[in-house]
Amino acid sequence: MLVARYTLRAHRAAFLLGAGQEADDVVQEAFVKAFRYLPRFRAGEPFAPWLLRIVANETKNLTRSRRRRAALTARLSAAESASSAADLPAEVVLATERRARLVAAVNELPDVLRRAVVCRYFLELSETETAHMLGWPLGSVKSRTSRALNRLRGLLVPGEQDRVSSG
Amino acid sequence: MADLVSWRDAAESEMRALGRELQVPPAGDITAAVRQRLERPAPGHGQSHVLRDSIARRRRGWRAVLVAAAVILALLIATPAGRAVISHVFRFVGIEIRQQPGPVRSPPASAPLPGQRGTSLAQARRQVAFPVLVPAALGKPDEVLVSGGGRVVSLIYRRTPNGTVRLDEFSGHTDRIVFEKFGHVSKLRDVTVHGREGLWIKGPQELVYITPKGRPAFASARLTTGNTLIWGTWRVAVRLEGSLSQATAIAIADSAR
Repeated sequence: MLVARYTLRAHRAAFLLGAGQEADDVVQEAFVKAFRYLPRFRAGEPFAPWLLRIVANETKNLTRSRRRRAALTARLSAAESASSAADLPAEVVLATERRARLVAAVNELPDVLRRAVVCRYFLELSETETAHMLGWPLGSVKSRTSRALNRLRGLLVPGEQDRVSSG
Repeated sequence: MADLVSWRDAAESEMRALGRELQVPPAGDITAAVRQRLERPAPGHGQSHVLRDSIARRRRGWRAVLVAAAVILALLIATPAGRAVISHVFRFVGIEIRQQPGPVRSPPASAPLPGQRGTSLAQARRQVAFPVLVPAALGKPDEVLVSGGGRVVSLIYRRTPNGTVRLDEFSGHTDRIVFEKFGHVSKLRDVTVHGREGLWIKGPQELVYITPKGRPAFASARLTTGNTLIWGTWRVAVRLEGSLSQATAIAIADSAR
């Protein structure tokens, strides 16, 4: 069954887009819809983008209806979980802090910008794939990704807040 | 500028690397659940369980009514042609809303509902089984129409400060009327009318009346004007349509008695 093959990707997308613990529900819903409306699916079109698009929509509806999205967290690396920070090389501590700040900044982005970041960087989709998945024009993918980066720079680089306030 | 570009390049690659480090819980095995649900006949128009449930949770008082009721009024919200993917279905005061391609490309500006007849407000009230709400803010309607053998009452106001305003009222929870709407789901917003939840739909959509047997009455297909507000009491559901701002529409709805 197609479900097993696409579950991981769909689940990861739903989770990272903010479905959190309800990612399984979203994926289940998306599969049911995808199969139920299979007759509308154009022959020859790849299944995954179509499914991911439904997943993105279901997640958006879910986060909108409960008015919150699940925050993202970075995994602890083996080194971090194995020993105390004091035992770690300075570079690892710095990299870990930097990563934590980056995740926190992404969590602070407005919904639309965060969706762009999740698709482009975390799911590593192309601009075209992102446009299809989120149902946005290609131009919006470019401009929102760019605005998201500006916003992140404002959040992460001291003294940048004023320069990027228009973003 | 150069440092901005290099910052971006560095941030982009850092975020791609971060993506692989993000914590994602293991996916549950949903194969059995999906198969089980697909083996059951499609409920109604295939509404979303996740969404319907979340809305029902928010509307506890309505839940029993919503679950028990047949489809009364459905709005199909369509994606533009060529993007034929259902991506949003939910119910609201017995109204089913979804996003899918519409059967009508360019409907006439106005098309009658089946069996539509002009009448007086008093007569309309005698002909239908639900209370007909009249917004005090608008006063006496210029035209009152009863359609579908008493399933819909429409109040038309032709000379409001906002142009023509139309209300369609129907027995929201026991009848089986279906309207289909075509637009884009990003135009939907939750609002409060009289302390109850309402739904604000921005911009015109195609609207089609669906017969009691569940078939679209294509002759009734038309493009709505302005914006639409939908709300209901437990006895009557109302859609208010016109070139109204959200605040004006809600003020009109709040004045309906």
